[in-house]
Amino acid sequence: MTSIDVHDLTKEYGGRRAVDHLTFTVRPGRVTGFLGPNGAGKSTTLRLVLGLDHPTSGTATVGGRPYSELHEPLRRVGALLDADAAHGSRTGRDHLLALAASNRIPVRRVDEVLQETGLAPAARRRVRTYSLGMRQRLGIAAALLGDPEVVLLDEPSNGLDPEGIVWIRRLLRRLAAQGRTVLVSSHLMNETASFADHLVVLGRGRLLADTPVRDFIHARVRPGTRIRTSDDERLGGLLARHGYAADRGADGTWTVRHARVEDLGRLLADAAVPVLELAQEEATLEQAYLDLTSAEAEFTAHHHQEA
Amino acid sequence: MPFRPVLHAEWIKIRTLRSLLGTLSAVLLATVAFSGLAATGSDRTDPLFSVFLGVSFGQIAAVAFGATAVSSDFRGGALRLALSAVPDRRRWFAAKAMAIALPVFAVGLVTGLVTLVLGRLLLGADGPTWAQGMRGALGCGVYLTLMALLAAGLAAVLRSGTATLGVLIPFLLTVSFVIGDMSGSVADVLPDRAGQVVLHTSWDGPLGPWSGLAVTAVWAAAALLAGARSLRRRDA
Repeated sequence: MTSIDVHDLTKEYGGRRAVDHLTFTVRPGRVTGFLGPNGAGKSTTLRLVLGLDHPTSGTATVGGRPYSELHEPLRRVGALLDADAAHGSRTGRDHLLALAASNRIPVRRVDEVLQETGLAPAARRRVRTYSLGMRQRLGIAAALLGDPEVVLLDEPSNGLDPEGIVWIRRLLRRLAAQGRTVLVSSHLMNETASFADHLVVLGRGRLLADTPVRDFIHARVRPGTRIRTSDDERLGGLLARHGYAADRGADGTWTVRHARVEDLGRLLADAAVPVLELAQEEATLEQAYLDLTSAEAEFTAHHHQEA
Repeated sequence: MPFRPVLHAEWIKIRTLRSLLGTLSAVLLATVAFSGLAATGSDRTDPLFSVFLGVSFGQIAAVAFGATAVSSDFRGGALRLALSAVPDRRRWFAAKAMAIALPVFAVGLVTGLVTLVLGRLLLGADGPTWAQGMRGALGCGVYLTLMALLAAGLAAVLRSGTATLGVLIPFLLTVSFVIGDMSGSVADVLPDRAGQVVLHTSWDGPLGPWSGLAVTAVWAAAALLAGARSLRRRDA
């Protein structure tokens, strides 16, 4: 089984640290979502794994070996990094033919991946005439070309239409079900949660979380409850006595964090607090993710650096 | 990784870009056309160069071919994709250089032979002998190949076809037409001056036809080594 192992990886660009002592493992048989705000170091990490950038220190290996030592690497690892990797004057098919030839992948596979990504009708058109979504599909076709055990995709749903997004979600699930190691970067939490089993979250080049999606939701996504009452004083006292963290909004609505309506409803009834409104507020996964990365997001807002 | 599949891939990349095939045919067309024009108005003091004067124009196309073949792999994310398929950067660049050299040499040789036959037809008895002519035709093929490789190496250092042509074309035009007649100076060992000795009937400088081409080969090798070094050390 082929894992990706990143160990104490650091990459500096002219004194700016894009990746900062990063350690994590991506295991086969599941989709690992690679999350972080823009500039968190996701793309840099992927380039380091592929041996395209030289690390300042630390190592990244695929199946225990550095990528650069792999024999015919496209047969082991498929990657989508940039949607603009194909020359606009070449046809999609010719682009894949050249890639296939370099790793002695049979021509039959070129036509198979064109079919699989829905590009077969456009295969003999120049890439210049492709939409962004089609270029993205061509990049995914290139990643699948060598039938690799490890698939790395950098923001694969960029530019895809809703149908394409559903397609990529199914594709990722299928690749993982086949036992492959799948790492997919994104800056969108909800999208990632729709296909990932496991999360690796980065912020400013550092590891913020390395956890199953279920655990992430369980540990971080806490519901809130909205309450309106005609007796704010008693409600406030009651909540405080029971150790709930609550805030009263300007419109008189209370928000109780980490509380369920089932518990609060009983409590309010027992205490005979008049209730005008009692409702569950769905805390979102996106919010939990934003809380985790907020410090880093603030940083990137000031620096506007893409890594 | 074996070399042949990588070479095959690089050749596919070249033959599937129409602009590169166009540039390659321009090597033949420009050389033959300008040689033909020059032969009709030649002063006939240098019969061989009267036939091969068009190489000065054909070399622009050869240089453009070498530079563009390399720079097309430095656009957008192309280099990252190429190097993820072939992580051994020296091997990749060697294959790229060979995929440039082989077609330029083939076209250059054909260009030399066509130019020679045309020149002999136009000049008749005033033309070069067959022995001189064959030396010129072979030299034409080798010279154009070396100039394309020089451009390829430079393009890998500069990571831009436009920048490479911006350096090389003014250089070639300046050297050929401005310092052109200065002899016995540093101009003799410039890549185009040294390499073009093979296209002249006789020579009075320190370099002969083959030693001249050797000097051009040293320039091309230096450019390729600099390109390979830059490719190996930099992030893709």
